[in-house]
Amino acid sequence: MSPARRRLRNYLLLGTAVALFAYALQRLGLGPISLLEAGLLAMTPLALAAVGECLNEKAGVVNIGMEGIFMISAVTGVWTAEAFNSGVMGLLGGAAIGAAVGLALGAISVYGRADQIIAGMGLNIFALGFIPFLLISLWAFPGIHLFPNELMVPRLFTPLGQISPVTVGAVAVAILAHFLLHRTVLGFRIKAVGERPEAVDVAGLRVDRLRLLTSTLGGALAGIGGAFLPLGWFGALVKEISAGRGFIALACVVFAGLEPMLALGAALLFGFADGFASAVAVTPGVKERIPFYFVSMIPYATTLVVVALVIGQRRFPRTVGRPYARE
Amino acid sequence: MSGAPRIDMRAIHKIYPDGTVALRGVDFRLQPGEIVALLGENGAGKTTLMKILSGLLRPTRGEILVDDRPVQFRNPADALRAGIGMVHQAFTLVPPFTALQNVVLGQEDGHPLGPMRAEAARRRVTALLAETGLSVPLDLSTESLPIGVQQRVEILKTLYRGTSVLILDEPTSALTLTEVHDLFRFLRGLAARGRAIVFISHKLKEVLEISDRVVVLRGGQLTGAVPTAQATPELLAELMVGRKVVPQVSRSAKPAGQPVLVVRHLRVTNDQGTAVVKDLSLQVREGEIVGIAGVEGNGQSELVQALTGLRPAQDGETVLSGAVVRHLHPLEFYRRGVGHIPEDKARFGLALNFDLTENAILSRQRERAFVTRWGRFDWGAIAAYARQLVERFKVVALGLRAPVRSLSGGNQQRLLVGRELSKQPVLIVAVHPTRGLDIASTVYIRELLVRMRDEGKGVLLVSADLDEILELSDRIAVMYEGAFIGAGRADEFTREEIGLMMGGIIPKGRDASTLALPPAAD
Amino acid sequence: MRARWHFPRPLIELTATILAGLAAGALLILVFGHNPLLAYRALFIGAFGSLQDVLETLAFATPLMLTALTFSVGVRAGLFNIGAEGQMYVGAIGAIAVAGMVRLPAGLHLAAATAAGMLAGGLWAVVPALLKVSRGVHEVISTIMTNWIAFYLSTYLALNFLTGARGDSTRPALPTARYPVLTEDATLTAVIFVAVAFCLVVYLYLWGTRAGYELRLAGENPEAARYAGVNAGGVMVMSFVIGGLAAGLGGASQIIGRPPAWALYATLGNVVTLGFDGIGVALVGRNHPIGGVLAAFLFGALAHGGRLMEYQAGVPSELVRALNGLIVITLAVPELWTLLRRRLAP
Repeated sequence: MSPARRRLRNYLLLGTAVALFAYALQRLGLGPISLLEAGLLAMTPLALAAVGECLNEKAGVVNIGMEGIFMISAVTGVWTAEAFNSGVMGLLGGAAIGAAVGLALGAISVYGRADQIIAGMGLNIFALGFIPFLLISLWAFPGIHLFPNELMVPRLFTPLGQISPVTVGAVAVAILAHFLLHRTVLGFRIKAVGERPEAVDVAGLRVDRLRLLTSTLGGALAGIGGAFLPLGWFGALVKEISAGRGFIALACVVFAGLEPMLALGAALLFGFADGFASAVAVTPGVKERIPFYFVSMIPYATTLVVVALVIGQRRFPRTVGRPYARE
Repeated sequence: MSGAPRIDMRAIHKIYPDGTVALRGVDFRLQPGEIVALLGENGAGKTTLMKILSGLLRPTRGEILVDDRPVQFRNPADALRAGIGMVHQAFTLVPPFTALQNVVLGQEDGHPLGPMRAEAARRRVTALLAETGLSVPLDLSTESLPIGVQQRVEILKTLYRGTSVLILDEPTSALTLTEVHDLFRFLRGLAARGRAIVFISHKLKEVLEISDRVVVLRGGQLTGAVPTAQATPELLAELMVGRKVVPQVSRSAKPAGQPVLVVRHLRVTNDQGTAVVKDLSLQVREGEIVGIAGVEGNGQSELVQALTGLRPAQDGETVLSGAVVRHLHPLEFYRRGVGHIPEDKARFGLALNFDLTENAILSRQRERAFVTRWGRFDWGAIAAYARQLVERFKVVALGLRAPVRSLSGGNQQRLLVGRELSKQPVLIVAVHPTRGLDIASTVYIRELLVRMRDEGKGVLLVSADLDEILELSDRIAVMYEGAFIGAGRADEFTREEIGLMMGGIIPKGRDASTLALPPAAD
Repeated sequence: MRARWHFPRPLIELTATILAGLAAGALLILVFGHNPLLAYRALFIGAFGSLQDVLETLAFATPLMLTALTFSVGVRAGLFNIGAEGQMYVGAIGAIAVAGMVRLPAGLHLAAATAAGMLAGGLWAVVPALLKVSRGVHEVISTIMTNWIAFYLSTYLALNFLTGARGDSTRPALPTARYPVLTEDATLTAVIFVAVAFCLVVYLYLWGTRAGYELRLAGENPEAARYAGVNAGGVMVMSFVIGGLAAGLGGASQIIGRPPAWALYATLGNVVTLGFDGIGVALVGRNHPIGGVLAAFLFGALAHGGRLMEYQAGVPSELVRALNGLIVITLAVPELWTLLRRRLAP
C-alpha cells in the first residue's frame, strides 16, 4: 500500500473511531464538556513525558523509566507542595527530582555504556518498591495520602470548562520542542547525534553533553507530569498513581515517530481514552451497565490497538539505545 | 590556503586496556607539501597511529610535536584546531543530512539556541569547492550519493575546518579507477598548495604512484621509511610482510567440466524495491573459478543473496547441477551443495559469543548427522566434527569451548571456510573472502579456493579487490549497476581494462559486441 | 604443587555489582533515619536464621525462578519480554478455575490445575508475540499493556466467577488440587520441584536441542540466524510461549502451591510484582535457567528476610523491591567493576 493510501486509511479509521465514540457518548449520556476536561487532564502528563522522550530518542537515548519517574516525582511533588504550602512549588519539586533522575540515567547510559532498556526497567522496579517505602516513611500510611485541596494547582475557568494551566504549558512545551528540534542549531546537533554520533564526535562536539542534556530535560518534563498527577488531577496520592501511564507515554513517542507535535496528538488521543474511562466509571446510569474492570482496560487496549495499527511506518534514528564508544 | 605545520610523532606506544599492543615505539614525521604513504598489512597499526594524530585516540606513551611545540590532543576538536583532520575509512556522515549540513555540523553560525542559518556557510563552501577543484552536490542527502561522492563530502568536511594536514584512511577501497585518478590529481593539487597529506594504504601499486615518501609499519612497529623514488615493490613488500614478494597462488590449467550453476535473466530487487540486479545471466562450471569484479554497491550483495536463498529473485531462473531451484530457503541451497562464504563473517556467518562447536554447526544444525529424531543434538558427533575442522583447517584457538570472538580474524575465517567446505559443496560462493585478514590467512584461503577448483568444484568469487580477482579467476565478469558490463576469460583483459569497466566505462576498441558473455546453456 | 584457586572473573564482577546495589540501598536506609547495619543484619537472619526460615526462603524463591525464566528466555531470543506479570495473573486464574471449580480425582486434578495455569500463561504471551511478528510492535509496550489488561481481567474474573465465601479472594483450591506441604512450619510445597524441573527442562531445551540452539542464535546474531536458515518469527513466538508457560506456572504456584490461603486475593496481592521482581533475578542469574534458580534463592532470601527487617529495624519491607531495582540498574552497566577499578585505582 502506498504511503498516501496508507495515510488515507489511517485517517478514515481515526474518523470512524471518533464517530463511534461520539455516538457511544451520546447513548451513554455523557456530557462532552466533562469529557473534554477529563481528556485534557489525562493528556497533560502523557504529553509532557512524551515530548521530552521524543527529544531524548532523537539524540539516541532511550528512557523506558518514565513510569518510575512519574511515581517518584508524584510523591516528591506532594511532599514539596506540603513543605512550601504551594502546588506550583510541588510541580517544581517534581521537575527537579525528574531532572536528577534523568541526569543519573543519562550518565550511566553515556559514561557507563549501560544497557538503556534494562537500566530504565530497573528504575521502574526500584520505584515500585520505593514509593510504598516513601509513603510509609513520610506519612506513615501505606496506601493513600490525602493533602489539603488548597495545595492543588488552581485551574482556569473558560467557557469550555475548567482547564489546568499545566495543560496549556504542555501544549506550549510541545510547540517549543518542535521549534527547538527543527529550527535551532541545537536541534540540528541533537538529530545528528542520534543518527551518527561518530559524525558529531569528529566534528568536535561533545556527544555526552548533548545526550545528558536531552536526558535531563526529558526527566524534568516527566517530573512535572508526574507531580501533576496528584497535584493537578487526582487530588490524592496513591501508590498506583501512575498505573502504566509512563508506558503509554512511551507508546505516544513510538506512535509519533519522535515528532513532538505528533506526540502531543498521540497524548490527546490516549488521554481521551483515559478520560473516557474515568468518566464512564463515575457517571451514574452507566457505571452499573459496564463493569468497572472492563472500562479500566480501555486506555491500555486503545494504546495497544493504535500502536499495532500505526507501527511499522515510523523511522527511528539509527543509534537509539546503543551506547557510543570512541575506541 | 595556509601552509601545513611540521608534524613530529616520537616513540608512540598504544596499549589497549585489555592488553593488546597496537603500536610499539613508532616515529612519524611529516613536512608541509609532501604526500606520505603509511603502508602496512591489515592490523599493522597504521589507522591507530593516525587516529592518535587526529585526536580520536590518546597514546599510552610518546609525544607529538606540531611546529616543534609539544601538544596533547584530548579529542578530535583539539587536533582540528592544530589543522589536522582525518577522513576515515568508514565515513562519518549523517546519512539523512545533505552534504552542506554534514559539512556545517559543529561549525554552525550563531548561538546553539538560535536559528539554523546556512547562507554564509554555503558561500564559504562554494568558494572552497572552487578553490580546490572538488565537485560536490550540496543539497542531496548523503545516503543517496554514490560512495565516491560521499568520500568527497568527507574531504570537504575536513578542508572546511581549515585543515592543512589531511589524513586519508584507505581512501580507494570503494572507488572506481577513474575516481582514483581524480582523487590522486586532487591530492597532488592540495600538496602543491602547501598542505600535507598522509595516505594510509595496504596497496603497493597505489602507494608507489601517489606518494613522495613511504613509511612502513608491521605488527605495530616501524620497519622502514624510504623516499618513493628509491622504493621498489620488492623492498616495500619485504618491509611490509618480511618477505621479498607477496606470495602468489599458483594455478594449473585444466579444462572445466559440466555447469554447476546456470543463471538466466535474473532480476533482483533490494529492500527499497529498486531493481539492483537487472537481466543477469551467468554460468559456473566444475573446475573453474568465476570472478565477479566490481565496486561494492553494484548489486553484488543482492545477487549473492539470491543465489544462496536469502533473497527472492523477481524474475529469471537459477539452475543448480541441472535442477531448477524454486525454493527460497538457505538450508535448501546448502542441501543442494552450495557453500556460502558471506561478505562479512562476523555479521553473517558466525555468532561471535558462541563457542567453536556451536559455530561449526551454524547452518548445518538441521543435518541428520547432528540431530537425533526428537530434535536433540548429538553433541558427541558435533564435537568430533568440530575437532576435525579445527585440525584440517589449522584453526588456532584456545579450545573447542573458546568463544569465536577470541579468535583472530584469520582463524575465524578459516573456521567458516572449513565449515562451508565440509558441506561437500559442488558450488562455493565466496564474497570478499580475504578482506581484512593478515597475509598468511589470505594466502591460505586463496590456496583453499584453488584447491577446491582443482578438485572439480565450481567457485563463484565476488570481490572488490581486483588483484584477488586477477590472481584466482579463470573467467572474469565485471558487474556494474546490476548487470555485467563485460566478461570473458581472465587472460583476455588487461588490468586497466577491468578497472575502467568497474567504473562503467567500456574500454576503447571493445564495444558490447566484442565482449563475450558467459555462454548460457540453452 | 600448590593448587591455585581463583574465582572466575564474571562471578567477582557479579558479586561486586550486587554489593554496589546493596550499598546504595544502605544509603537510602540511612537517609530515611534507619540503621542500615541493623536492617541488613535482620535481613540476613530473617532469611537464613533457622531451618524454617531457609525453607520459607525457598517458598519465596519458587515463583521468582519462573518469572526470571520468562525474561531470560526472551533475552536469549533477543527480545524484552516483561509480560510475566500479566502472564502470572492469568496463570493464577487458570489454576484456580480448575482447582476450585472442577472436581477430579486426586492426582489428575493437581496435574490439570497446573496445566491450566501454564496454558493460560502461554496463551496470554502469544498476543504480544504475534503483534511483534506480524506488525513489528515493540514488545515493551505490548507486554505492559497486556499486563494491565490482564490485571483488570483477572480481578474481574476473580470477583465475579471465582469468588469465595468472604468476597476478598477467590474460593480456595480443593484439597485434591493442592500440592503437598513439605513441612508444617513453612509454606513450602512440592510445587518447587515442578518449578525446578521446568527450569531444568528449559535448560536442556536451549542447549541440547536444535530448536533451542536456533532460538539462542536468533538472539545472539539475527543475521547469522537468517544465514543459518532459522525462522525468526517462529523463534520469537516460541520464546514468548515458553516464557508464558513459565509465568503461568509461577502464578499457579502461588495458588495451588502456597498455603495457607490456597486462593487468589481479589487485589491479586499474592501475585503482583513477582513478574517484575523476576527481571532482577534473571539478570543476576545471567539469563540462564539454572542461574535463575540460584539467583531466585538470593532474592527469595531478600523477600523473606525483608519481613524480619521491617519488624526489627523498622524499615518497610518494600525496600527490598527497591533494592531489587537498584541491583538491576547496577547490572545494566556492563563493565561496572572495570569502570570502578579504573576510577578507584590510580
